[in-house]
Formats: sequence, C-alpha cells, structure tokens
Amino acid sequence: MTVAGLPTRRVESYHYTDLKTLLRVVPPLAKAASQASAPALRVAGAFQLMIANGAIQSSTAAPAGVIVGHAKGSVLSKRDDVLVHLNGAFAKDCLTLTLEGNVDPVIQIDHCTEGDAAHVVDSLKIFVADNASAVILETFSGSDTAHIGNHASYLALGKNAIVTHIMVNLSAKATTHFATNEYALVAGAKLRTLTIHAGAALSRSQVFARFAGEGAHADFTGLNLVEDGQHNDITIDIRHGAAHTTSQEMYKQIARGRSKAVFQGKIVVERDAQKVDAKMMMQGLMLSDQAEIFSKPELEIYADDVVCGHGSTCGKLDEDSIFYLMSRGISKVEAEIMLVRGFIAEVLDPIEGEALNEALNSVVDGWLQGV
Amino acid sequence: MSSLPEINVIELLELGVVRIHNRKPGGSASIELKRPPPPASNSGSRLDVIEGRAPDKPMAATPERADKMTAPILEIRNLHARIEEREILKGVNLIIPPGKVHAIMGRNGSGKSTLSYVLAGKEDYEITEGEVLLNGQNLLEMDPSERAAAGLFQAFQYPIEIPGVATMTFLKAAMNAQRKARGEVEMSTPDFMRAVKIAGTDLQIDTGMLKRPLNVGFSGGEKKRAEVLQMALLQPKMCILDETDSGLDIDALQVVSKSINALRSVGRSMLMITHYQRLLNHIVPDVVHVFSDGKIVESGDKDLALQLEAKGYADFDGAAA
Amino acid sequence: MADYDHIPMLKENIDRATVDSVLSLDVDKYKYGFETDIESDMAPKGLSEDTIRFISAKKNEPEWMLEWRLEAYKRFLTLTEPTWAKVHYPQIDLQDMYYYAAPKSTPAPTSLDEVDPALLAMYDKLGIPLKEREILAGVERPNVAVDAVIDSVSVVTTFREELAKVGIIFCSISEAIREYPKMIKKYLSSVVPVSDNYYATLNSAVFTDGSFVYIPKGVRCPMELSTYFRINEKKTGQFERTLIIAEADSYVSYLEGCTAPMRAESQLHAAVVELVAMENAEIKYSTVQNWYPGDKDGKGGIYNFVTKRGDCRGANSKISWTQVETGSAITWKYPSCILRGDRSRGEFYSIAISNGYQQVDSGTKMIHLGKNTSSRIISKGIAAGFSDNTYRGQVSAHARAKNARNFTQCDSLLIGDKCGAHTVPYIEGRNGSVIFEHEATTSKISDDQMFYCQQRGLNEEEAVALIVNGFVRDVLQHLPMEFMVETQKLIAISLEGSVG
Repeated sequence: MTVAGLPTRRVESYHYTDLKTLLRVVPPLAKAASQASAPALRVAGAFQLMIANGAIQSSTAAPAGVIVGHAKGSVLSKRDDVLVHLNGAFAKDCLTLTLEGNVDPVIQIDHCTEGDAAHVVDSLKIFVADNASAVILETFSGSDTAHIGNHASYLALGKNAIVTHIMVNLSAKATTHFATNEYALVAGAKLRTLTIHAGAALSRSQVFARFAGEGAHADFTGLNLVEDGQHNDITIDIRHGAAHTTSQEMYKQIARGRSKAVFQGKIVVERDAQKVDAKMMMQGLMLSDQAEIFSKPELEIYADDVVCGHGSTCGKLDEDSIFYLMSRGISKVEAEIMLVRGFIAEVLDPIEGEALNEALNSVVDGWLQGV
Repeated sequence: MSSLPEINVIELLELGVVRIHNRKPGGSASIELKRPPPPASNSGSRLDVIEGRAPDKPMAATPERADKMTAPILEIRNLHARIEEREILKGVNLIIPPGKVHAIMGRNGSGKSTLSYVLAGKEDYEITEGEVLLNGQNLLEMDPSERAAAGLFQAFQYPIEIPGVATMTFLKAAMNAQRKARGEVEMSTPDFMRAVKIAGTDLQIDTGMLKRPLNVGFSGGEKKRAEVLQMALLQPKMCILDETDSGLDIDALQVVSKSINALRSVGRSMLMITHYQRLLNHIVPDVVHVFSDGKIVESGDKDLALQLEAKGYADFDGAAA
Repeated sequence: MADYDHIPMLKENIDRATVDSVLSLDVDKYKYGFETDIESDMAPKGLSEDTIRFISAKKNEPEWMLEWRLEAYKRFLTLTEPTWAKVHYPQIDLQDMYYYAAPKSTPAPTSLDEVDPALLAMYDKLGIPLKEREILAGVERPNVAVDAVIDSVSVVTTFREELAKVGIIFCSISEAIREYPKMIKKYLSSVVPVSDNYYATLNSAVFTDGSFVYIPKGVRCPMELSTYFRINEKKTGQFERTLIIAEADSYVSYLEGCTAPMRAESQLHAAVVELVAMENAEIKYSTVQNWYPGDKDGKGGIYNFVTKRGDCRGANSKISWTQVETGSAITWKYPSCILRGDRSRGEFYSIAISNGYQQVDSGTKMIHLGKNTSSRIISKGIAAGFSDNTYRGQVSAHARAKNARNFTQCDSLLIGDKCGAHTVPYIEGRNGSVIFEHEATTSKISDDQMFYCQQRGLNEEEAVALIVNGFVRDVLQHLPMEFMVETQKLIAISLEGSVG
C-alpha cells in the first residue's frame, strides 16, 4: 500500500519531518504475534502490562487502586493531524486504566512488535481519580523489521492528582515510531512527562496538553538521542486554558553521526488565562559534524498578565570544560562522556524511585556505549 | 547520579562519540629522562646561586655542585608561546626543586596566567620554542590528563562550572583515572569517602556541597576551596596556584592558605601566580620571581615581594626590554 | 516635573531626553494622514500586460527591461498567495487598483527650483529636508541626501553632485535602468530572485520606482542616504524597488521612511529591497515605517508586504538591518541576510508596535553559508489594543557553514488583554560546529512600574510611552541619530489609546 495524503514540509507542523518523503511504504496491519515478547526494560517491582503487535495481553492481578479494562474507539480528541487520523481509523482495542489512591508499584506498559514488518496501531486511555497518584512507564520495542507503530494515549488527571508518565522508545533500527499523547489537567493536578527517544529510524512523538483548572502544574521533559541514519522529532503543544497554571518544558537533544533531531514546542496562553507562568527550554548538543538539530520553540500569548519565555541553544561540548576535566587526570573520552551525562542529568534526576531511575540510566548508558 | 560506567574506549571511538587523542600506553615509559644541567656559580641574577632561574643558555657542567643538588621537579627552559599571532611568553626560564614554593608576581597582562595554562596544556597556545620537564619527563608532549597523572596540578583562577556532574562523582572519577594511568589500583568507595571527609574538614567543605554539581552556583570562596580540596585529594607533585587569593575574603583566605600550607612537603613543589603580595603573607614562598612582558626579569627571596608592594612594578619594566 | 534622576527602577533604561520628548508630545492621532492635492498621471486600473507595458513606456525603459517584467508577470500568474503568516485580511483585488500614479509635471526637474511648490510643501509637512541649499547654508546638522518617491515615481534626489565627486551613484532606480544597464542587469534580482515569492514576483512585474545606490571600492559614503516613500493617490499600489551595491571596503548608511494619507480603503505596498555587500563592505539599512495603520475600528490602512534581503557576498562583509515598524494595517516583512562570505556578519534590530487592529508578522532570516559567520537578532514586539504581533525568524547554518554563531533575543510586551504576542523562531543547525543561542520572553508592563511613574506625575499614557521606550532601548541605539528622537515620539503616538 502506498501512502497518499501524508503531510509535506509545506504543512507547518511537519516542516522538519516531511512524511511524504520519509514514509514511502506502509506495511499491512499487524497480526497476532507468533512468538512471546520480552519487555525492553525491567523495573523491579513494576506491575507489567503487555501490548503485543497491537493486541492487549492478559496480565497478572492488578495492584490496589488499578482497574484494567478495554474499550473501543478513538482515545484522542479530534484534531487536524495525520497521525491522530490514522490512529483513530485503525485502532481497534483500547486498553483502559482507572487509577485510584496512591498506586504504589510503577505501572509498566510494554508495546512489543515482533515478526515481519507490520503496521501496529494501539491506544491507551488512563483516568487518574482526584487525589490519586501513579507512575506510568511505557516502553516500545520489538523485532528489527520495517514496522510502523502508531501509538496513542489519553491521560486525564483529576483534581490534585499526581502523575509521572515516562515513554521510552527503544524500537529497533529499521522501524518507524509514532506516538501521540494527550493530557487533560484539572485544578491542582501535577504532571511530569519524560519522553526518551533512543530507537527507530524515524520517530515522531507528539504531546497535546491542556490545562483546564487553576493551580495545575506540569513538567514536560524529553531526551532525544539520535545517531547515524535516524530522524527523531518531538513536537509538543501546551495550552494554558485556565488562570494560575504553570508549566516547564525541558528538552535535550543529542545528535551524533549523520542524524537529525527535531524539536517543535508551542506554548499557547488562551485569552483570560491570566497569571500563567510557562517556560520552555530546548538544548541541543552535537557530537558529530554531520549532525543536524532543528528547533522551533513557539509562544502564542493572548493574555497579558503572564510570564512566559523560551530558550533554545545549540552547540558542541565546551572545550574549556573538557580541558578542566582533563587537567584533573580524566582522559578525553571520559571527560566527554562525563559532560554528556551532566547535560542529561537535568531531565533524568527528577524521576524518583531508585529502580526506575536505574532503568532509565541504563537506557542512556546503552546509547552512550552504542550497544 | 550514579558513578561513571566502565568505559570501553575502542567502542566509543568506533561509534564516533569521541575523537582519537594521542595517548601513549604506559604513560611516560617512552620518554627519556633528562638530567638537569647544573646552575652556574656566578652569573645571571643573584638568585641563580641559590636556586630558581635557569640560565638562558646551557652552562658548562660543574659535576661537584650538580651532585649535591636534588633533581628539580619542574624545569622550564627558554619557553616561548603565542596565541594566534601574538607572542606572550618570550623566553621563560625557571627551575623549581622538590619541596620548594616559588611565587611569580606580575602585573595584569604580563603573561603569568598564560604560563600556567601552557604548563597545564591548554590547546589555544602554540609553543614556538623551549622545553618543560616535569620530573625529567617532557611535559609538552603530554595531553592535559597525562600531565595530571604525571603529578601536575593547576588550581584555576576561574574554575569551570560543569552542570549535571556532582562534585563527588567528579572527584572519584579524577582520582581513579589518575591512579589507573599510573598503574595503581582504584580506590574503594569507603576509602575514597574517608579521604574526602578528612580533606574536606579543614577546608570546611561538607557533603552537601559535594553533592552539588561541580562549581555550579558556588561562591568565589567555595570554588577556591573546592580547588584546594582537589589538590589535597590528588596529591600532586607540582602545584600551580593561579591567583588563588582572588575572590576570597580574609576568613576564606586563611582557611585556604592553611590547607595549602599543610600540603607543603618535601615531595611537593608549588608555583604561586599572583598579582598581590597579600597571599604571600599567608603562604610564605622560598623564592619570588617578577614577571614582565613574557619573562622572568628579577628573582629574590620573599623580601622581593615586599619591595614590589612598596614600589610597584615600574622599576622592573626596563629589565624586560 | 518629577525628579527622574532618582527613579531606581527605570534609570537603567530611560534617559532624560526620552522623558522630555514624551512629555512634550504633540499628540495627534496620525499626523501624516493629510492628503496633498497634486495632479496625477495614472495608468489604467488593474493588472495586465498592458499595465506593465504602460509602466515600462512611462519610464522610457529599454526593451530588455520590459521583457524582464513580462517574464516576471508570467511567473506571477502561476503563483498563489502565501498563507503561513499569522495575518488575516480580505482577498486583495489586484484588478481594483492602480499600478502607476505620478505627480503630473513637465519634464523631470533638474534642480529643486523646478520642483512643484505643492510637492515641496508636502515634504515640508513630512519634515523631510529636501531643500538642499538651506541645509548646506545652515550646517547645523549633518547632511542627508534624499531620494523622494511619491506614489510611483522618484520626484527628486538631492546631493547627487556632491556624492558623484567620490564616485557614488545615488539616483532613482528608473534612471539607473536607463543610465547603468550593465549594473542593473548584473545585480537586479541577484539577491531576491524574480520568482522568490508571490509579492516579490508581483513587484518584479510592476515596480515603478525606488532608489539605486552604488558605492565604489574603498569609499566611505560621506553622508547618510535616505529615501522617503509616500503614497498619495487613492486606490494606488506602491511597488518600489531598491538596490544598493557596496563594493569592496566601502561603507554606507541608508535610511528609509514611509507615510501615507488616511483612507477608508486599504492600499497595497509591496516592495523589494536588495543589498549586495562585497569584501569588507558594510551596509547599514534603517527603516522607520509609518504607513497609515487604519482607523480605530480597523478600517483602511496599508497592507505592507515587503521582501528585503541583503547578500553578504564578500568575506568580512556586514549588513545590519534596523527597523521601527509602527504603521500599516498588515506588516509582512522579514529583512534577511545571506551570509555567504566567510566571516561575514548579519544583524537585525527591530521594534514592532501594533495597536488598534494592526497585524504584524515580521522578523528576519539569517542564512549562514560561509565559514565563521555570525549573526545577531534583537527584536522587541509591543502589542496593544486588539492587535496581533508575531516575531517570525529563521536562523539556519548550512553544512559548510562551520563555526556559525547566532545570538537571538526576542522580547514581547503586552498592553491590555485583547491583543496577542507570538514568537515563532526556526532554528536550524545543519553541522556540528554551530553555536546558536535563542531567548524569548513575554510579559506585561509591571503594575509597580506604572504606579511609580504615575505617582511621579505622568498620566497613564505617558507612563506607558516612557516604559516602552525603555523596553526598546537596545534597538533604539542602533538607529542613526536623525531617527532616534523621531522614533521615540512615534512610539508614544502609536500606543495612544492603548490604556484606559
């Protein structure tokens, strides 16, 4: 099946990720996996759920406060976006989670795609009750064939709910990975997201978030690790639709080899959403001469009593820092790795829980060692 | 952040994460040990007869004296260096024997800080002439980390801030990298923690400070104390202290100089680079040199610093011409 | 008056001159909104090949120029209007306007004495120093050579002889086409290609006049050069074309000002400006754009769709754009630099103020092609009333542009809760050695600052003008002296009615 109607670079939101050029062929829709799948990450004590080739697998008994269910239909709001349309058109079975109280174990959802090249579409809907808290980890992995994964999630946070949502893309080298995450926050909700891209030939992860209640706060963070032949795109659209809401966006992109890293970040403050404080930062680090980093941080502000800003930097490792570390006996190789890890720390360190933190650090270590 | 992972250099090289640098296995093994030429008995400035300035030209050997002398730790001969087209060091000669503390004084822009960067191996400078020996090893052939492993330590005037890297993580990495380069076993974490604790106490450095990213948000005094802590831990043979007193109030200056004095020993030499005499009241040097227009123009004992303080540098400008 | 020397909060940013000029404002709404009754010679209404032939014939253009225009027109017919900018306006009816209007006069004036007194009076009213001899005699301020363009033609260019002594050519582009065809053929559309964009292509087909500047090798232009553009006629589009060439080791500073009468219907202004800087040359281009912005309900006003681009063709060359955008109903303008020469430098300093129903979508492009090139962008956007004010800027370093550097600072200020301020940067590093820094902020005037100023006796509007002048100071200081005071006043006028 060849693809018609994919966005070109003339479509503003796909300016740096021209799907018409990048996505030539879409494989047939996935069939049930013929072999057992193994999750890409292990977090001690996590409650694990598996979506294999788009099909929800049965799980062990859910821990207290977690209700696992199924639903039909699209999870995402209607919007003019090709990935949203495609997910809505093909998603069949939707995994739903209802979370109440303080959910203790990390909820881990592993999306594994095995076998021949397949088009995998799945979706996830999570309701977090008022005053509930949870940590949700999603991983994406599978066999190294030309899969296309189109994953969608909708996460609604109740009043004063506290959620950490982490997505780790460890898809194999030949694959294409699309993810669209939608968030709705009401009064007092606190959200932290972390998107780590360390896989796939072509990735695009989209975040659409809207603050609908006063006092809500969110940290949107991400780590875009790209290496030879990869094109990874993180696009976020954060809408402050209520007064006294705050957000911080912190994204780090590291590119090596001949690769492309794309960040598009938009903060919108709607009319009458006064006293909003929103700050976005993109930092790019280039480790090779053929690396390309693109950044489009946008502000669209319709309320006057706000403090909003963004910053974007792009550069290589600082020579003076390397010299300083070397002057203390650290070799150049070690010095460079130390600086890269220091650069990343800001987005990894706030993730709480030793087992989880260790798992995420192992992803970074893996990338740094190129395994 | 957890400690550094095991690093496979070859893999990283293949991946293009890092560039190749000319590290020689075995460190100094290939470098020829040179015997220092002995000083002449009565030429050059008055200090040559004691120690300090190396003569501009090699002198005839006087074996009797040389045998009595101990081999110098640092030996700089006719060192010329430039940045872009501008020559900054114009023939520096200096010999520092073991256990001695030398001070270089000079006005801003005289090139004294350049000397410290050239010794530590900063790439921006081009060495056009001369040689530098550290314990008889050719320093100029080594990269900065090899120099450190060989025993050279520079306390920077402006320590670099490294975001995201906890001071403790950095200290451990530096310590073990040097030990590894010297073929010594790595220090265990409890031993390391103990060493840090002991060294930190005198400097009034607590574990809270060590958990913070290296130098990030440190006050001027904290930065300087962190530099001296590194010096105490790494146990170098040759310390270069570049304007260590700048940015220190009088209390901090006392803390820092007390720690530096405690590090003075038979096996460790120091070179203090300073603009003001103030520091020298706290760390009394064996020899004082006046630096002007890219070279040493006068040498003497600690009283020379007092003279300078009283008269200023103007008297010495002519000597540089 | 209050003692401003002791304002702790504002002292950093605002000097006494600003305070005084703000307080002494003669606050008329749009003081250039008058219309001058000058007899005009006009082309038939509408856009067609005949219109283009008419323009070309009126200008006594050589055949090749007509062919060039017709070629551009053919291209234009294949293009559609761009929609990516954050501006909204009704469809422009290109057939319902005039493409050529010239003040009727007997043969072109050879000296100022022959210029229609009504014209001179109009420029007097605009405060433009056309009277060469008076200025020469007065000597109390630096000389500024002026090319005055009214509707579709250049009416007078001053100081030409003096400039000619050092080999500088400063004349209207129409004249240059006739007198210096070799240069025109070589440089026209060498920076902005004919088919660059919808408005540039339209301009190529129907441009009527503008300035031509040639600075020979090694010459530092002894005075500021400037062009004043004025749209006077009804239903007339102005399509000006400016070309500045700075040969190796030369320097020129060029100022541009624009005004138009108040009219209920909107008028189109689609200009193309091309700059070429050879080795070690420097061009400084300053604009104060004060086209009629429309009335308080958003009726009328100029649609300002402008393509401005400079080519740093030689090594070490430098192009600096400074703009003060206060007028026009719609501004669509991105003065850009192509940093082709190694070590070349581009700068963009901008103040864009929107009030009423104005829409601004403006910014720059810094395209780094050569090695060790650098660029700097400082943009200050102020939105008031019901306006939308967008900064849109691109910084791009290509694969060969090793060690490209950029620093960008974009600040937006919102006055009132019915306006919008937006920032849309495109930052593209295509090699590993670039260092780009971009920072943007959006805020409002703090209540504390307002209260402080009011407590010291300024009314609300004066206080806003004062604070805004402080906000834009980083850009103001890049304007030539002649424009600075004028600009400070203009800022106050533009923000009138924005509070209360």
